[in-house]
Amino acid sequence: MAAVRDKRMTLKEAVSKYVNDGDTVYYGGFQIHVPMALTHEIIRQKKKKLNIINASTDVGGLDLLVAAGCVDEMHLAWAMNWYVKAPYAIRRAFQSGQLKRFDLSNFGATSALIAGFLGIPFIPVRGNIGTDMIKHNTTDAKVVEDPFTGSKITVVRAWRADVAIIHAQKVDRLGNVVTWGTRGVTDEFGTMGTKRGVIVTAEEVIEPEEVRSDPDRTLVPYFKTLAVVHCPWGAHPSACRGYYGLDIRFSQYQGKYERSAELLPTFMKEWIYDCEDHAAYVKKYISKFGQQGLDRLKPVLGFEPKMKVDYGYHDPAVWKGVPQYTDEHIKA
Amino acid sequence: MASNFKLTELMVVRCAKEINDGEVVFAGVGLPLVVVGFAMITHAQNMILFTEGGSIRATAPPGLAITVDDPALFCNGDATFGMLATMAALQRGEVDVAFIGGAQIDKHGNINSTGVGDWSKPDSFTYFAGSGGANDMATSGKRVLAIMPQDPKKFVEKVDYLTTPGYLDGPGARKKLGMIGGGPSVVVSTMGVYKFDESTREMYLAEYFPGQTVDKVRANCSFDLNVASNVKETEPPTEQELTILRGIDPTGFYLG
Repeated sequence: MAAVRDKRMTLKEAVSKYVNDGDTVYYGGFQIHVPMALTHEIIRQKKKKLNIINASTDVGGLDLLVAAGCVDEMHLAWAMNWYVKAPYAIRRAFQSGQLKRFDLSNFGATSALIAGFLGIPFIPVRGNIGTDMIKHNTTDAKVVEDPFTGSKITVVRAWRADVAIIHAQKVDRLGNVVTWGTRGVTDEFGTMGTKRGVIVTAEEVIEPEEVRSDPDRTLVPYFKTLAVVHCPWGAHPSACRGYYGLDIRFSQYQGKYERSAELLPTFMKEWIYDCEDHAAYVKKYISKFGQQGLDRLKPVLGFEPKMKVDYGYHDPAVWKGVPQYTDEHIKA
Repeated sequence: MASNFKLTELMVVRCAKEINDGEVVFAGVGLPLVVVGFAMITHAQNMILFTEGGSIRATAPPGLAITVDDPALFCNGDATFGMLATMAALQRGEVDVAFIGGAQIDKHGNINSTGVGDWSKPDSFTYFAGSGGANDMATSGKRVLAIMPQDPKKFVEKVDYLTTPGYLDGPGARKKLGMIGGGPSVVVSTMGVYKFDESTREMYLAEYFPGQTVDKVRANCSFDLNVASNVKETEPPTEQELTILRGIDPTGFYLG
């Protein structure tokens, strides 16, 4: 369990300190909040033999990670760059035998993460039964007899990552991660189920007092967090709620490189290896596609909560000196 | 009735009519998101939308949701729990319509969204995205609505990889495996509408789109096509329907 301390560090420090070759990594986000800055840094540091667990992931982040040779195995339900309608590098790596893939349904994968979150070895789930996923992925799923009714049911084994990489809207220096607009989709389970802890990049680093003023929004409490990285645009080209929208044009641009094994190294050099950090990537974006490229991603705002909330509490000191309540039926 | 429309547009409008007002609809990524957006502001204003991203909402999102966890789905939503809450409702049997796409479908409504080729021989296998939530939706939703472009490579005798169960190998197969959902009810393609025979659980053509014929559909289907004796032409969309639809996806991201 990580202590109460200032966990702020650079992207480079966070990955070199907390991602090891051979780790099982929970890959955060879904179709949005994809941890792209962390993906790029893992590629720059040439981490090897990673085993990725996740439910679904978009915008080709995982495709780049696989193309860079960082990944040996992936256990998930859906991996894509939806904006070119294919996971090209993943496809090639599976065909060449470089990548082993273990497929489940979304709720199969989510249930495996929930079992890890709960600290139990496996969990039943509807779905997967009767399909080729059950036939080909006996590592993660089996059909068993329900011990109570005797009917058939799928069970999936618990997934517990060594480390989770996620992107969030806000985090404090202690590592309290704040998100809104879903409880993380599956990040709430993937992070808490980790054996070592969580690396988080966030749009903003805020004060612990701010987090504690609204703790319902805390997705990951500080004790599971290993590293806090202030990283604006850390999910680009995927969206970050309230900060920027999905960059469809860039996802398509990246996807055209993903499609070609010959061209992809050019993209990787230009946008990953030649960028010292994520700020350099953003700078490169502006120099290539202009500030208007980023401006186009501004979200439509004006969806602030209309409901005022005061957590409040009651001070039991008011009972001091107050006599027991009584009436004619009970004795004082 | 409009005369100038894309087949994708008719596919969406026709598909929306399969959703009844007040139903709980679980929509997958892609065209289903456009269809539900359309249904929620036309005839199904009391529909409830669920997505894998965790959105639960009784009103249409303010803009086109491109993804199932699109920020638009969470602006003035009714509840946003994440995947757990929406998938849990599926598993409890509370979802009326499981609404999905796919890459291949066979005559029993089994769907492949994993890839083509022989998975056991990786060098022959071309991966697509994978199941996503389609398998969960089709296993447990009360009925399944599928939308996919008509193409002989997509309407196949046998799916290369069975990702998402239809009626499997025929009547009774789902029940034997303890599936709580009723299975596929309607498939809408870019050329027509299919339903399933109650006794054989095989797909049959119930409607063909204006400008199409039964023979044209047959030429774009790789399995032996069953055709309803009362097969009819689908009504074209109205100008008003097209205006609403094009307002939902003004750049044609999904409508083309």
